Order: sequence, then C-alpha cells, then structure tokens
Amino acid sequence: MSVAVEAVGIGKRYGSLVAVEDLTFAVESGVVLGVLGPNGAGKTTAIRVLTTILQPSHGTFTVAGIPHTRPAEIRQRVGVLPESAGYPERQTAEEYLRFHASLFGHSRPSARAVARTLLEEVGLGERARSLIASYSRGMRQRLGIARALVNDPQVVFLDEPTLGLDPAGQRQILANVRGIASERGAAVLLSSHLLAEVEENCSRVMILNRGHVVADGTVAEIVRQAAAPRSARLQVAGEHTERAVTALAGAAGIDGVERFDGRAGLLNVVFSSAGDDDGKLNLAVRVLLDAGIELRSFELEGARLSDAFLAVTEDS
Amino acid sequence: MTTAPATSDSSWTRAEGASPGWLVVLRQELRDLWLGGRGLVLIFAFSLLVGIIAYLVATNTDLNFLEQRESTSLTLQVAIAIGGMLTLLVAADAVSGERERGTLETLLLSPVSRRALTSGKQLAAISLWFAAFLVTVPYVWFLGHGVGIVDEALVAGVAVGTLLAVFLASLGIIVSCFAASNRVSISLSLFVLLAFLAPTQLPAGAQQAWAGDLLLRVNPLTAGERYVSKIVVSGHSWTEDISWLLSPVIGAVVFATAAVLVGGRYIRLRGGVSG
Repeated sequence: MSVAVEAVGIGKRYGSLVAVEDLTFAVESGVVLGVLGPNGAGKTTAIRVLTTILQPSHGTFTVAGIPHTRPAEIRQRVGVLPESAGYPERQTAEEYLRFHASLFGHSRPSARAVARTLLEEVGLGERARSLIASYSRGMRQRLGIARALVNDPQVVFLDEPTLGLDPAGQRQILANVRGIASERGAAVLLSSHLLAEVEENCSRVMILNRGHVVADGTVAEIVRQAAAPRSARLQVAGEHTERAVTALAGAAGIDGVERFDGRAGLLNVVFSSAGDDDGKLNLAVRVLLDAGIELRSFELEGARLSDAFLAVTEDS
Repeated sequence: MTTAPATSDSSWTRAEGASPGWLVVLRQELRDLWLGGRGLVLIFAFSLLVGIIAYLVATNTDLNFLEQRESTSLTLQVAIAIGGMLTLLVAADAVSGERERGTLETLLLSPVSRRALTSGKQLAAISLWFAAFLVTVPYVWFLGHGVGIVDEALVAGVAVGTLLAVFLASLGIIVSCFAASNRVSISLSLFVLLAFLAPTQLPAGAQQAWAGDLLLRVNPLTAGERYVSKIVVSGHSWTEDISWLLSPVIGAVVFATAAVLVGGRYIRLRGGVSG
C-alpha cells in the first residue's frame, strides 16, 4: 500500500498557544485512521493544516505524494467534511454538488454526472432536487460526504461526521466511510469523539492531547500501550459473597477485591498490570469455580479503547 | 467511482470545457443573488425609492421649481448612490457572510485560488448596479426626453455608476475579508459610505472654497456625482470636466487591485485583523 499522508514534526501555534506540536505519522491508502482527542486536543487544527486551510508553523507533510508547499495541488487530491460545515439552504443538493464539482475543474456535463452519481452513492438520489433547507442533519452530513468526494480524492478527512446524529444516521454515515476506504481505496482520517465508532471502523487510531500525539497504533496496541487499569465485575450469589472475596483476594495476579454497597454478590476485581486481559479474567473465573462458587455474570473492564483514551489523556 | 479532471503529479489542470474558477464562482453567486431572491428584493426596494423620487421631482409643488435637467440629474444621482450602496452591501456580505454561514471553509478547500473566489463575488455584487441602472432608465427617459438629454444622462450615469460600483464593491470585499463578523462588515461598510457622502451636505459656500472643492474632487462619490451634474445640468461636453472623473477612476482601479490582492492573501477562516 502506498503512503497517502506523511507528516513530520508538524506544529501550529497561535502566538503562545500551541494548537498542534510535533505531529508525526503516516497513513497508507485504504486505511481508516481514527483521530481521537478531548476538546481542544488539536484534531481540527491538525486536519486544517493537512488540508492546507492553515499553514503549519513548522514541520513538513505530503498528501498523495504532494509536498505541503503546493497547497492547490493538495486540495485537488483531498476531500474534506469540515466540522460544523454549513450548507446553502436555498440550493438543491444537486446544484450544490454541481457547483463544487465545477470548482474542481469538471465541465458542466461532467459536474452534473458526478453530482448524480454521488447523490445515489450516499442515498440521496431521490432528494437530489430538494432544497438543502429541507434536509435533516443526517442528510446534510451525507451530502457533505458526497461533496468531499466530487474530486475522487486520494485522501478523505472527516471531522466529526456523526456529531449530533441518531444511531441510524450514524450507521449510514459509517457505512459510507467504510466504503470510501474499501471501494475507492482512499485513506480516511476520521476525527471523532465516539470511541465505539472508532473502535469498530478504524484500522488504526491516533490519540491527540493538548496538541501532541499521545498514542498511535491499532486499538489493541493502544490499549496495551496505555496500560489502563484493568478490572472485572463479577456477580455471584449473595450468600457466597464473603467466600468469593476470600478466594479472589488470595489469588496471584489479583491486586484487590471490592464490594458494592447494598448490592450483595457484586464484586469489582482489580488485576495487577502484568499479563493479558483474557488470562486475568480466566484466572478469576477459575478461582471461583475451584472454590465451588457459581458465577452468575462477569464483565471485563478496562480493556476498551475508552479506558485507554482516558488513561493517556489524563496522564499527559 | 467518479472521475476527477486530469491531474498529474506536478500540476493540476481543469478538464477540457471546464470554466475558469472565477467564472464558476460568478455564475453561482449570480444564481444565488437573482434566483435566490435577495437581488430581486433589493431591486424592488430600489425601484420604489427611485419611483417616489422621480414622482416627487416631477410633480411636487415644493420641488417642481427644479428645471427638467436638474430633475433628471437628481434622479440619476440618487440612483447611482443607492445602486452603489446595494453593491456595497452585497460585497460586504461576500466573505464574512460565507464565514458566518459556515460555507467558507468548503470554498477554501477547493483548488480555485482565493483571488478567483473574491473576483467572482465582486463581479456578482456589481451586477446589482447594472440592474439598478436598468430600472432607472425609464425614469431618466421620462424626466429628460423633453429637453433632449436622455442619451447624455444615461451614458454619464452608466459610466460614473459603474466606476463607483467597482470602487464600492471592492471596498466591501476588503472590509468583508477582515471583519470579525458579518454585522461588523455591513455596518462598517455603510459607515464608510455615509462618510463619503457627507461632503454633499456641506453648505454651498464651503463646497466652493478651495478646501471644499478639493474634498469633493478627491472623494470618488462626490466627484462622480458632480461630473454627472456638469454633463446633465450644465450641458458641458464629456471632456470639459474630465478632471472630475479622475478620483472615481483612480478609486475603482486602486480598490479593485487592492481587493484582488487582499482576497488572495487575507481570506481566512476566522475574521478579524489578526486572522
């Protein structure tokens, strides 16, 4: 796979305020990279720098092999759904896409064809001639994705594409996102606050905090790197609570066992940081079964991206 | 999968038959302005105003002491001033309005140069002046045909009005690029326009003194209107008072150039002078 985006030491400062610092990463074509971070982490600024809307204060990058010193050529090769993008209410979706296709150098017939194809692709074919003013938020986001594709981009940047959408709307958008990477072979940089959607849809994840990259890799790698505290919730019969606590507390690899006030039988087991997650849960289950205690439910906690996210963004 | 226009690793070229970027922007702006209805509403209001003024200068007993040439000149000058103001208002909304509606970023993300974006918007704003002029033509004909000055009045009006429309549209674009909000852009533009029109309220004596005369000559708006008056009212030839056209021409050229330069360099996602 070819490298679609390569950034080396990118920084963006506004006076003394550091928005992005030393951003270094590479993304291959066909990969969906999730860009995570709390509010103000620098996600949107990073996207604006990489899409040439903002000039970097320092560092270099290439997009589709084009160096950042040739911004117009980069813009020809990227598609972007900006955060909180506005839409001209009095235009129809088809007019809107035709206009943007023309901006990207399509002739009139070609712009019309591109508009129709993309509207069908994002499921808006039947509403192509409706005013954008009549569109729901989800439809607008899909229109925004269609607009981002008018130039058949090699890299697509999506800044919070599912923000404010209901679950059905989110699912539709995410299906579009996966299609961009798998069918078009484009690299997708997906900025989001929704960790579950990133976990499910992204091949790789990069977490930013206060302008710095604090984690980069696959979800599994990041969870491991983050060394988030691991624990499990176990439910046993109420009358076995004391026995279960005693058995678990004495087992190797378990740092502590906590009860929940007023909820007999529910225990929180804290594991030591060494070892893999599944092995730890197996250990706790085996200890209980060996002690003849029936296990009613169990849930491993701390092995999710959300825990890793909190760990790396709180630490730094 | 869609097909993008021809690209190469070193340069980007628009597809064969594709329009240049400024023309794409101009077409869209004209469509938004005229088919979207905003331009029509402004021109309707303009028509009412010019109609009322023309009616008053032609019939009102308090104003009908005006000679026909003066009535024609007054109507034409009002049309130029109000038509210019409409042009200024649309231009002042061009960048700051896009910014506020959240549509500027997608425009900036296109490979069309920022100069082409502002040029297209500037030309679309100037279209309002031409529409205003067309509306004015019947009134000028009605008021001026009896004294045979219709042709001179219309030529002088379109020439001066176009220069002033270019000047004001450029001014509006520049303000719009820097303004922190659309409200600031429009308010500031109107304030500047009123400042340009203020010298017309000077007493006649002050206007004839050397300082007053200089003020009227260096101010593109007052100089342009005075030139129209010289031709329509005084019946002077085109060249006799050509010096009065100097500041409208310089204003149009300098501000249009500045707007192109500013547009290329200072259109930013966030308004305000610090960018």
